Amino acid sequence: MKLENVYGKARAGGRLTREEGLALLKHGELLDLAESANEVRFRINPDPHVTFVIDTNPNYSNVCTIDCIFCAFYRHPGDEGEYTYSVDHMIAKFKESAAKGATTVLLQGGVNPALPLDYYIEMVERTVKEVPQIHPHFFSTSEVLGMAEVSRLTVPEVLKRLWDAGLRTIPGGGAEILSDRVKKKISSRKGTSADWLSVMREAHRLGYKSTATMMYGHLEQDEDIIEHLEVVRALQDEYHGFTAFVPWSFKPGNTPLEKIIPHYATPTRYLQMIALSRLYLDNVPHIQASWFSEGKKTGQIALHFGADDFGGTLQEENVHAAANFVNTTNTGECIQMIHDAGFVAAQRDTLYRILKTYPPPAEAA
Amino acid sequence: MRLRDEKLLPIWEKVQGGERLTLEDGLALYRTPDIIGLGKMAHHVQKVRSGDAVYFVLNQKIEHTNVCVLSCKFCDFAAKKGSARAYEMTTQEILERLTPDIKEVHITGGMPADWPWERYLDIVESIHRHLPDADVKAFTAVEIDFFHKKFKMSIEEVLRQLKAAGVRTMPGGGAEVFSERVRKLLFNQKIGAKGWLEVHKTAHRLGIPTNSTMLYGHVETLEERLVHMIKLREVQDETGGFLTFIPLAFQPGETGIKPSHRYTSAIDDLKTIAISRLMLDNFPHIKAYWVMLTEEVASIALNFGADDMDGTVGGEKIAHDAGALSPMALKKDQIIRIIRDAGKIPVERDVYYNPLRLHADHVIGKIPYLNSIAYHAHLHAPHHKILPVIPRRMGLLSEQGMIDGGLFSVMSFVQQSDQLESLGYGLASRDQVRSVMLFSKEGWRDLEGKRIGIIDDTATSVRLLRILLEKRYNVTAHFERLHSGVNDLSGLDAVLLIGDEALHHQKTGLPGFDLVYDLASEWYEWQKLPFVFAVWAVKKNLSEEMKDELRKALVDSLQKSSEDYWSIASAHARRLKLTKPETVDYLEGFTYCLGEREREAISRFAEMVEELEKAQ
Repeated sequence: MKLENVYGKARAGGRLTREEGLALLKHGELLDLAESANEVRFRINPDPHVTFVIDTNPNYSNVCTIDCIFCAFYRHPGDEGEYTYSVDHMIAKFKESAAKGATTVLLQGGVNPALPLDYYIEMVERTVKEVPQIHPHFFSTSEVLGMAEVSRLTVPEVLKRLWDAGLRTIPGGGAEILSDRVKKKISSRKGTSADWLSVMREAHRLGYKSTATMMYGHLEQDEDIIEHLEVVRALQDEYHGFTAFVPWSFKPGNTPLEKIIPHYATPTRYLQMIALSRLYLDNVPHIQASWFSEGKKTGQIALHFGADDFGGTLQEENVHAAANFVNTTNTGECIQMIHDAGFVAAQRDTLYRILKTYPPPAEAA
Repeated sequence: MRLRDEKLLPIWEKVQGGERLTLEDGLALYRTPDIIGLGKMAHHVQKVRSGDAVYFVLNQKIEHTNVCVLSCKFCDFAAKKGSARAYEMTTQEILERLTPDIKEVHITGGMPADWPWERYLDIVESIHRHLPDADVKAFTAVEIDFFHKKFKMSIEEVLRQLKAAGVRTMPGGGAEVFSERVRKLLFNQKIGAKGWLEVHKTAHRLGIPTNSTMLYGHVETLEERLVHMIKLREVQDETGGFLTFIPLAFQPGETGIKPSHRYTSAIDDLKTIAISRLMLDNFPHIKAYWVMLTEEVASIALNFGADDMDGTVGGEKIAHDAGALSPMALKKDQIIRIIRDAGKIPVERDVYYNPLRLHADHVIGKIPYLNSIAYHAHLHAPHHKILPVIPRRMGLLSEQGMIDGGLFSVMSFVQQSDQLESLGYGLASRDQVRSVMLFSKEGWRDLEGKRIGIIDDTATSVRLLRILLEKRYNVTAHFERLHSGVNDLSGLDAVLLIGDEALHHQKTGLPGFDLVYDLASEWYEWQKLPFVFAVWAVKKNLSEEMKDELRKALVDSLQKSSEDYWSIASAHARRLKLTKPETVDYLEGFTYCLGEREREAISRFAEMVEELEKAQ
């Protein structure tokens, strides 16, 4: 297989096969990947805009019974440091965030079996009613599965209840690597790859939008990454419910997996992931690069590797922080980083609609 | 190459043709929005120069004191004597910092008013005694100038004494930006462009290779950055003594520079790396110094023109006092991982950039001279990575099993014949070769007892020279190995050069050495046989499949190159100061496919070497 032909095919809008994707991942030169990914990015998103959202990622509870070995955030029921906040507490938090300009709250747990379905329903309803500036972007697939178990309803029924309460998008976390070979090792109790996909499928069928994520840099092989991209692309063909694809690397600090994988994946690997996902996921509108998860400098450079979104400003974040990975920004700096990378900064909402653009200041140098 | 910015097209033409870029070209590169196109151009040059190698060194930084008589605005490190932050290390304290695995000790620090000259010499000598395997890289031009003024010695004398004490190379700090405007604004107590360059030129003349730097991202303009690079390039043309260029991103910290109190952007950092690779066409290496650039940018820079990650850098303080965001030291395995992920060969080096160990499998050695270009210009070996390495060092790496194949010096091939297998190709010449040359003050028979400098590169030619001296002319001389990079040739009676250095000097002459002998001609006149310099060989235990793949790749590259000598010549003639016809003529002069006569020549030479070595 000639890589040149694979790049040519992707640039022309052709769909890559698994073998072709794998060849790019194993043998592609970093900047050849970038060159083609960039071209595809501008075909799909022709504007020189890089979008971002003003958001926050609080957690209503850290109680969780799933025991993922890559996670430093959760506590078992009864453990020291466990917490579960009331809906009142969270609504107050959302109001604070809204006052600071947030338009999106990405809310997740823990999967806390002590919480009834009504807790979640109330959270959505009251957010929609009491903090209308905020778009609720609540509950990962694992939590939805948890709600179904607790309430003895089916997943579609739970999703319907949440929809009726006003939820319209759900976050794409919890996918990790959608390859059961790996999932069994790192999160055996979180369900299979099919579980994540089926919750997403049901959600998209009902009209929800979501992101899709990928956490790499632990026990996966190149083949698992291609498998992940493949199943995301196949599901997207069904309902086109994914707004964006968001890869990030495993953060080992304070996790049981740290003993085996003590280090972060390299920035080069991240850029490969961004570029490859842009080339492989021909039906996903946006690829998100993150100033947060890989560092500001890597995030900025990733905007030239096929990404057209810079994620959220993240007023609050707890999960990476539990792994001793802390990184913060503010709206001004976020805009500055996008400008420095040579793009027009554009504030968006959860559904990737542009709210406001910030053209770069006139060329100084 | 699919350049999105059409302004890059004429520059790309120049880069491919080996033409030198101008200040205006540099500005167009800085202004392009197409950083991937820029990166690919720089990566192209990086690959031509460095193959897939990325160098690092196990090094320790020694900052012997922070007490300094200067007060530069951008520095958070310096302290006044007696202040709470001030420290001064004794030689003993310095030695206690050094671990046995260290290969390079980098010494630089403040400039205190009351240290005697002997204290500096003592530090260097003591380190040298304490860690004989490590090389000392010591004192920036600013410190050298300080010693010159304070101890009332010429710059040359300061450098001579340091070299005698054990200094091998000099760091490149203190260059800042070569602009009087900026110097007056930020560091008016430092020496400025003229002084800095003078110190480095003197060092080069004395055989001390040096590094060079540029501090960017404060108040300088893009033009000033490019002028800086161009000045370095001019000196390099003159001396050839710079090993590497290190762009240093300014760390704002609490330094007194207000107008641009920001870290540089990642995009500016990558552009600066790429542009320096493209502008500095005569520099062997471009360094992504992770301490200043961050580990993130340094990692990515390895695909944007940088072939040098510095090293583990234990003990660094200056940049961190100014708020550098990088960790204090990188572990060796982390550096190796970063380099591998970038698709490169992690090469552990010494202070002169000689490879000591490779942390990768499937490596092909490439002789970094024009004479091997026919094997590499069109080589497509998808399962292998390419390491440019001089013949003698390639032999040493191969002894350790670190090289799968390559054009081996014939001596290494003979010595390792139980592990190596010829693919039937090599480099031989009938009569003159023009790139294995003895430059001498005396005729052959007058070299008895004289001192001959031997370029570090050679494994075979050094023996050919000894055979000619002892067997043909009955003369015994003293051989002295030169080190890689610039050397002080004064005091020598003759010098043996090989490769591009020999080719260049046989055209331009080597000042002071008026007699020039081509060793291949000497051999031919005497033995009436061609001389085989190198054999393309592979490890015997390589799979047959792999051997076939490599053999086919070689034949392919030879074929394509022979149809293409003129464009190869275009890309290299300027660098070697040859005309294009001379370059083509040189390439056509070699025999690549080894026949009966060549095999006979190898045996004859091997026998003579054996006799010679028995006699010793």
